[in-house]
Amino acid sequence: MKKLISRRNFLAAMGTVAAAGVLTACGGSSSGTASSAAASSTAASAAESWGDVKLTMWGAEEDQTMLREMADAFIEQNADKGNVTIEIGVQSESSTKDTVLADPESAADVFAFADDQLNELVNAGALQEILLNPDDIKSRNLPGSVDAATLNDKLYAYPMTADNGYFLYYDASVLTAEDVQSMDTMLEKAAAAGKKFMMSVNDAWYIYSFYAGAGLVATLAEDGINTVCNWNEAPGADVTQAILDITANPGFKSGADADIVSAIKDGSCCAAISGTWNANTAEGAWGEGYAATKLPTYTLNGEQVQMGSFSGYKLVGVNPHSANVGVAMMLADFITNEDNQIKRFNDRKLGPSNINANATEAVQSAPAIAALAEQSSYATLQRVGANYWNSAASLGEILVSGDTQGKTTQQLVDNAVAGITAPVAQ
Amino acid sequence: MAEMVLTPPLRADGREPNFLQKFGHAFVHGDIFTKLSFVVWGLGYIGHGQLIKALLVTLVQGLGLYFLGTSGIPALKKFSTLGTVQMEMQFNPLTLKNEVNNYDNSFAILLLSVIALVVIVTLIAAAMLVVQSNYALQAQKAAGKKPNNFRQDITMYLNEKFYVTLLTLPVLGVVVFTIVPLFILIAVAFTNYDQQHMPPAALFTWVGLANFAALFGGQSLTVTFSYAFGRVLGWTLVWAFFATFTTFFGGVFLAMLINNKKTKCQKLWRTLFMVTIAVPQFVTLLLVRNFFSDAGIFNTLMTNAGVTDFLKTIGLLGQNMNHIPFLTDQHWAKFMIVLINIWVGVPYQMIIATGVLMNIPGDMLEASTIDGASPWQSFIHIKLPYLFSVQGPALVTDFVKNVNNFNVIYLLTQDVYITKNQALASSSAKEVDLLVTWLFRLTQEQYNYKMAAVIGIMVFIICAVFTLVCFRFLNKKEATFS
Amino acid sequence: MTQATVSPARRTETAAQLRRGRILRTVRSILRHLLLALLAGIWLVPILWLLVTSFSTDRGINVRRFFPASYTISNYVNILFHSDSVAQFPRWFANTFVVACFNCVISTCFVLMVAYALSCCRFKGRKLLQNLSVIVNLFPGVLAMIAVYFVLKYLNLTNSYAGLIMVYAGSSGLGYLICKGFFDTIPISLREAAKLDGASDARVFFQVVLPMSRPILVYTIISSFMVPWTDFVMAKMILNSGLSADWTVAIGLYNMLQKTLINNYFALFCAGGVLVSIPISILFVIMQKFYVEGITSGADKG
Repeated sequence: MKKLISRRNFLAAMGTVAAAGVLTACGGSSSGTASSAAASSTAASAAESWGDVKLTMWGAEEDQTMLREMADAFIEQNADKGNVTIEIGVQSESSTKDTVLADPESAADVFAFADDQLNELVNAGALQEILLNPDDIKSRNLPGSVDAATLNDKLYAYPMTADNGYFLYYDASVLTAEDVQSMDTMLEKAAAAGKKFMMSVNDAWYIYSFYAGAGLVATLAEDGINTVCNWNEAPGADVTQAILDITANPGFKSGADADIVSAIKDGSCCAAISGTWNANTAEGAWGEGYAATKLPTYTLNGEQVQMGSFSGYKLVGVNPHSANVGVAMMLADFITNEDNQIKRFNDRKLGPSNINANATEAVQSAPAIAALAEQSSYATLQRVGANYWNSAASLGEILVSGDTQGKTTQQLVDNAVAGITAPVAQ
Repeated sequence: MAEMVLTPPLRADGREPNFLQKFGHAFVHGDIFTKLSFVVWGLGYIGHGQLIKALLVTLVQGLGLYFLGTSGIPALKKFSTLGTVQMEMQFNPLTLKNEVNNYDNSFAILLLSVIALVVIVTLIAAAMLVVQSNYALQAQKAAGKKPNNFRQDITMYLNEKFYVTLLTLPVLGVVVFTIVPLFILIAVAFTNYDQQHMPPAALFTWVGLANFAALFGGQSLTVTFSYAFGRVLGWTLVWAFFATFTTFFGGVFLAMLINNKKTKCQKLWRTLFMVTIAVPQFVTLLLVRNFFSDAGIFNTLMTNAGVTDFLKTIGLLGQNMNHIPFLTDQHWAKFMIVLINIWVGVPYQMIIATGVLMNIPGDMLEASTIDGASPWQSFIHIKLPYLFSVQGPALVTDFVKNVNNFNVIYLLTQDVYITKNQALASSSAKEVDLLVTWLFRLTQEQYNYKMAAVIGIMVFIICAVFTLVCFRFLNKKEATFS
Repeated sequence: MTQATVSPARRTETAAQLRRGRILRTVRSILRHLLLALLAGIWLVPILWLLVTSFSTDRGINVRRFFPASYTISNYVNILFHSDSVAQFPRWFANTFVVACFNCVISTCFVLMVAYALSCCRFKGRKLLQNLSVIVNLFPGVLAMIAVYFVLKYLNLTNSYAGLIMVYAGSSGLGYLICKGFFDTIPISLREAAKLDGASDARVFFQVVLPMSRPILVYTIISSFMVPWTDFVMAKMILNSGLSADWTVAIGLYNMLQKTLINNYFALFCAGGVLVSIPISILFVIMQKFYVEGITSGADKG
C-alpha cells in the first residue's frame, strides 16, 4: 500500500482536477500543470556497513544540550561503521504518546517517554520490540524499570531514569522528620505554622496514592487496553471520606504543579507531594531546610495507612517505522548505558535506572532519590488504560471542592469506577 | 457556441436544455471525431484542427488516467473492506532494518478512494464537455467558419471566460484542502477508526450506522456518551447565543458611544480598543487564563481588596473557598468565558457597527429628529432595525462561527478545567466544552476519530438547519418590509 | 429668540436654563468620557499586564503583585539574542514571516479572484458555487485537520513551510464574502463603460476594479498576513518534526507555557507576545483607515 501512492501520482490527480476545471468552460486550453517530480529512490544500504544513516531523536526541552553531547559521542564511536547524522527534537516526555500516535510514521526514530504510555504505544504498533541484546539490558537495569519497559514478556524500551515517581518534600525548619510520618500530624503542624501542605488531589496520577495505600487496585486489564479498578469495594468509600477530611483540613491545599511551585517560592507551602522536577525549586527556596522522604500515612477508619504511589520511570523507545531500526536501537542503547546515566545524573540530577550507576555514592546520597527508594516498596507500576485519567481526575476535583453533590462517598467511587472501567472506544 | 448551424439541442418545452441533454445531443449528432473525443479527448480536436489544444487535453486526460491506473483503481478495489492485510514487521539482524510485508493502510485506501472518486467524476464531466465543445467546433466548421486558433482561445479566457481563469486555482485549493478532507471525515464516521484500529499498524473497516447509534444511546458502549452529547450541545447553543449577541450589542453600544458628536478624540478611543486586536488571540487568551487562574494575580488582588470575603458573605462562594474559581468552577467558568469573549469580540464588532451606522441614510435620522424623537427612540426605531436588516445575515454567520469557536474555549480551559461531573468525565467531556473542542480532545487524547467524525457531522447538521431557518425567516421579513 | 419681545425676567430665566443646560451637558460629557475611559481601562488591563510582565525580573508568573518588583530588559535581550532550546524566537519570527508573506500574497489573490468572479462575472453555476461555499463553511474546520494532515503527508509536504502555506492559502478562497460585498458596491456602469472602450474582462479587473478597492485590499492583506501568527493548532500538527528551530512563533510561544516550562519562561512568553504584536500593530496603524473602511463596506452588504 505504501508504494501505491507517490507524490507523482498525487500531482497527476491534482493536475487532472485542475485542468478539468478549466475545461468546464466547454473545453479549452489548460495551463499545463504537469510537473515532473523527482522520483525518490532510496538506495539499499549494505549489510556490513551502515552507510548513511540519518536519525532523529526526541527528548525533553531541558535535556537538549546533554542529548546533543551524547549523540555526538555516539557518532564518533561509530565513525568507522557508517556516516551517522542525528537530529535532536523537542518533545516533553509526559506527552510523547500524543505526538507519536498522531502519526507514528513521522515520529522520531528514537524517543524518550514516561512509562505510563508504554501500553498505548505498543498497542498502536509504535514501539519496536528490543531485539538487540535484550538480556543485557534486563540485567543491567533495576528490575522495576525493566518491568516498566516490558509488556507481555517482551522488552519494548530502554530504561533511562528511575525517578519519575512522586514523594514528599518538606521544609525541615517547619516540620520535623517525625511530623511528616503521618498526614494528621503534618497537617496539624502546618496549620499551626500558618502554612500549607500541598498536593494535586484533582490529578489522577496523585489521587491513586490514597486508594493504592488502602490496598485497592487500578490496573490494566488482560487485553492491555481497558482498566480494572476496584475502588468501589470496601474500603473505597472510607478512603474517599478520608480524602474529604484531608482536603477540608486548614493545613491542606490542593494545587497543580505550577501552584505548588509558586506557593513554595512565596513561603506559604511547607510540604508537598510532587516529583523531582519541582525538587530544585524547593531546594532553592528552603535551602538547608529542604528534606525529602516517602509519602506519609493517613487515617483510614481510625487506623494509619501508608500511602501508595505510582512508581515512575522514563524510557527510551525505538520507532518500528524507522528506516534504520537497528542503528536506532544502538543509539537508544548508547544513551541509556551506564556512563550516560551517570552523565544524566551529573548534568541534570536525574536518578539512574542502571544498577551500577544507581549504586554510586553520589546518587544514593541525593535526598530525592533516597526518598523514592524509600517509597518504592509501596509503589506500583503505572499500568492503566486511557479511560482512567479523566474519571479519576474528576473524582479528585469533587473531593477537592468538598461538594459531594448530594452523593454518598460510595456513589462517588461507584461512578468513578464506572468511568474508569468503561471499555475504551469500542 | 451561439452560432451553431447544426441543429442545436432543443427541448420539447422550449426551455434551455440541461447539461446531460446537451451532451447527449452532441454525442448522437456529432461526427466521428466528436464521438471519439469522448474516449480520447485529443482526437476530436485533432480532427477539428486544434492541435495545441488536442495535445493539452490529452495530457490532462493522461495524467488523470495515470493516477487512476497506478493508485486510484487499486485503492477503489479495496474500498469495500478498507484493506485486509495487517501490517507485519520482522527485524532482520543482518541488514539492521525492519522488513515489512505489503500491508494495507486503511486510511490511505480511504484517502485515495475519495480522491479517485473525485477524479473520476471530474474526468467524466470533462469528457462530456469535450464532446460538447467538439460538437460546437463541428458546427462552426459546417457553417464555414474557421475554428479558433490557440491565441484566440487564450484571449477568450481573459474575456467572456475570465471567471474560469479566476476560479480554477482557488477552487482547486478548496477541493484539495477542504472538500476532500471533509469527504474523508464523513466517511470515517461510518468506520471503526479509533485507538484500537489505528493505521498503519491496524486496520479499520466499515461499521455502518453503529457510531450514530452509540451517540444516541443505542448501544451499551459508554452509557454516558449520549448524555454528554446532550449537555455539550446545550452549552454550545447557549454559548453561541450569548457570544453572538453580547459582542454585537457591545459593539453597537461602544460604536455609538465613540461616534457620538459629543465625544472628543474619537480616533484615540477607537485606537485604544483596537490595540487588543493587534495582539494575537492566542497570546491574550493564554495570558488571561493565567490572569484569572486560581492562584493567579487577579485572585490575589480580589483577596486583598476583600472581594473574595465579600462574595463568601453573600453566598456566591463556598465557605471553604479561599479563591474565586474563575475558570475552574462550571458556573464561574461559563460566565467568565462569555465575559472574556466580549473582551475579545467587541472591538471587531465596534468597527463593523461604526461603518454600518455611518451608512444610515441621513434623511431617516433627520426626519426623526424633526419629529422630536429622543436619541433613545431614534435608536430603537431607526438605528436598531436598520442594523438588524443590514447585519442580519452576518449575525447568522457569527452564530455559526461561535458554534465552531475553537480558540476561545480551548485556550481558556484546556489543562485548567477539570469537570466534577463524573458522567461527563467518562466521555472525556467537560461542562465548558463546545462540540468542537470536545471532538478535538477526543481525537487528541482518545484517538476516537470515529466519534469525533460523528460529532462533527452533527455540528454540521445543526448549523445547516439553523442557517436555513434563519435565512428563510430573514428573507420573509425582508419581503414583507420592503 | 426674538429679543425685542422678551421681558428681562424671562431673559434671566432663559439664561439660567441655558446655564443649567450647559452644566447638564458638561456633566453628561464628563460621564460619557469617564465611561469610555473606564471601558478602555478594562480593555487595556491585560495588555498592560503583558507589557509590564515582559519587563519583569521574575521569570515565572508573578501572582502576588500586578506590577513587577523590578524591571529589566533582559527578557527582550534573551529572547532576541540568546536562543536556547526552548526559545528560538528569531528563527520562529523569520519562519512565520516567510509563511505570512507567501500566504498573504496567495490568499489575497485567491480571495480577490473568487470575489470578483462571483460578484462581477455572470455565468452558469455561480449561485451553485456560492451555496456550496456556504455549506462547506458550516463544517467544523478542526475536524478536517487530521485528513488535511494526511493529504499533505501523501503530497510529501508535512514538515515543510510549503505545506503549511498551501493549507492556509488553499482554503482561503472560501473567505471571499466580505470582499464580494465590497465589489458589489462598485457601480456596474463603470465596468461597462470600460468594456465599451474595448477593455477585456481581465483589464477591467486590474485597471478599473482593483484601483477602487484599496480598503478591501488592505483588509484582505492584513487578515491573511495575520493567519500564521495566530494559528497554532494546524501549524503544530504539520510541523511535527519536534525540531524547535522549525516552529512558527505561535507554536513556540504556546510551548513555553507547558507545565514544566511556564515557571521559567512566562516573562519570555510575554516579551515574545509583545514582539509579535509589533509588526501587526504597525500594519494596523498604517492601514487603520482602510481596514475600517474595508471591513465595514464589506460587512455592510453581508
